[in-house]
Amino acid sequence: MMAADTATTGFQWIASYPKSGNTWLRLALLALSQGDDAVDLSRTHSFAPMASARSGFDAWLDLSSSDLSDAEVTDLRPRFHAAQARSLTTPLLRKVHDAWTYARDGTPLFAPAVTHATIYLVRDPRDVALSFAHHRACSVDDAIGLMADSACWLARKRRGDATQLPQQIGSWSSNVASWLDAPGMPTPLLIRYEDMLAAPEDMVRQAAVHLGWTTDSAAIARAVAATRFDVLQAQEAAAGFPEKPQKSSSFFRRGVAGGWRDALSRDQASRICRDQQVVMERLGYLP
Amino acid sequence: MNYGLCGMCVTSQLELPELAPWLGPDRAPDLEIRIGSVPLRLAGATYEGPLLQISSDGSCRLAIPGVASYLARGGRDITVQPEMDENAPDIRLFLLGTVFAFACHQRGLVPLNAGCVEIDGAAIAFSGAPGVGKSTLAAAFLRRGLRLLADDLTVIDVSAEAGPTVLPSFPRVKLWRDSQEALGWASAPGECVRSEIDKLQFPIESGFSPAPLRLSALYHLARSREPRALEVSTLRGIDAAQALLGAVYRHQRAFQMGYAKALTSAVFRMAPVPNLSLAWGSDLSRVDELVDCIVSRQSQ
Repeated sequence: MMAADTATTGFQWIASYPKSGNTWLRLALLALSQGDDAVDLSRTHSFAPMASARSGFDAWLDLSSSDLSDAEVTDLRPRFHAAQARSLTTPLLRKVHDAWTYARDGTPLFAPAVTHATIYLVRDPRDVALSFAHHRACSVDDAIGLMADSACWLARKRRGDATQLPQQIGSWSSNVASWLDAPGMPTPLLIRYEDMLAAPEDMVRQAAVHLGWTTDSAAIARAVAATRFDVLQAQEAAAGFPEKPQKSSSFFRRGVAGGWRDALSRDQASRICRDQQVVMERLGYLP
Repeated sequence: MNYGLCGMCVTSQLELPELAPWLGPDRAPDLEIRIGSVPLRLAGATYEGPLLQISSDGSCRLAIPGVASYLARGGRDITVQPEMDENAPDIRLFLLGTVFAFACHQRGLVPLNAGCVEIDGAAIAFSGAPGVGKSTLAAAFLRRGLRLLADDLTVIDVSAEAGPTVLPSFPRVKLWRDSQEALGWASAPGECVRSEIDKLQFPIESGFSPAPLRLSALYHLARSREPRALEVSTLRGIDAAQALLGAVYRHQRAFQMGYAKALTSAVFRMAPVPNLSLAWGSDLSRVDELVDCIVSRQSQ
């Protein structure tokens, strides 16, 4: 499996609100790129790493992001991306949870000029709420509150041990809409988590094609088998997963669609539907 | 007023309250810091990054938007063009960090992205990726009654007669507020290093080790997946050389400044200094175990 030659280069963003299948797709693409029958969970972090990783930003900007305010970091991210993009000879995959936003001078953080392709993953926000609560070790009600907060940031509490830059993720709805409606950007490939579960081979093939990879169905079948949810869960149980937050008990939790039906209260489910109604309807999560 | 910094006599038009006064013999300054205008572009730039330009003679121009532009030349003079009140601590944070590190490269000194503590009369440096806990460890050493030579930029003179020697920086330590709270740090009130960030700077006075000391070991901290981990191993051969080069402040930029040969030779001269890898869980509440580990190993 090789990346096909493309005339243009730049970043390939795998963007999503947290807990929407981003890591799962990354691992499937990693398996596909390696052609192996299994992925080594201890070595996944260098494949499509977070666009918001502090180490890359610090290296490219010749300073320590810990000496900058959140607003200054955000203002400099377009320059970081532009500098890195200029050095590329092949497209560069990056995972993103930020909303598609702007620096204070009006420059997009993820500018069309540095973008080769975007895949946006989306998942029923009622399932996201459960997974997000587990991931952050917070209550489901708190997770629902965060998902409705259009000013929500990740990694904003600046500490010495931060490995991520502050990221404005916005609300679940604003995150989705910001990427799907981003002006001037190449049309993103929208993948629903529920379709990843129902038709994983088809979704991985669409993703690979969108990224300009040449591949075949046997390789895709191997990649999907290597990254079946129960396989990843068993691997994590046996040897751990470095990308798991320290405070959460596991990264790969259930990997199901519709789990909210027996885990959310009626009030919680209707609160999410109220908060996220327009985008849920747009994506077919509400009739 | 003249200041002492890494054994250099520094004269400055900017007040530098972080630095100790120069106590050495009366002599022409080694480094002069001036306020003046910094050109937008360096002539003959061989590297142009988003904020940094390097020219073929090794000069460096760094611009921090809203703070200042800096030009470091020949390791002998630094020009600062402030974009804010020239006495704001923000200007000195970058001046005494990144910009001074470039001046060290220009002088043939080796700046390490590392803190450094005195144990039994020798200097022990500790390096690691951003966020691994270097500043917290520095503060934990201080709380243990040990003295620091540097908190985040350790400058080595590889040509010293005694072998690679650490030149003490200045009697301050920078700490994030959460580290300060986790350590129960109750020193004099700190000064914010910048108005908008929660990082404080504390004077350490008696906690500062002011004389040059031979470098006895360099620990490379790494974050372990296991929160309770504390594993030390000695790095040898190419692994040691790679780790050491990785700890050199912006070593790729030093190569672009034209110092590849000098830096490679410096790394070679540092070969007798043991390099140790130390994996730990980066759990702030367990930093004392890290102190114990390093102290007991170095006291052996």
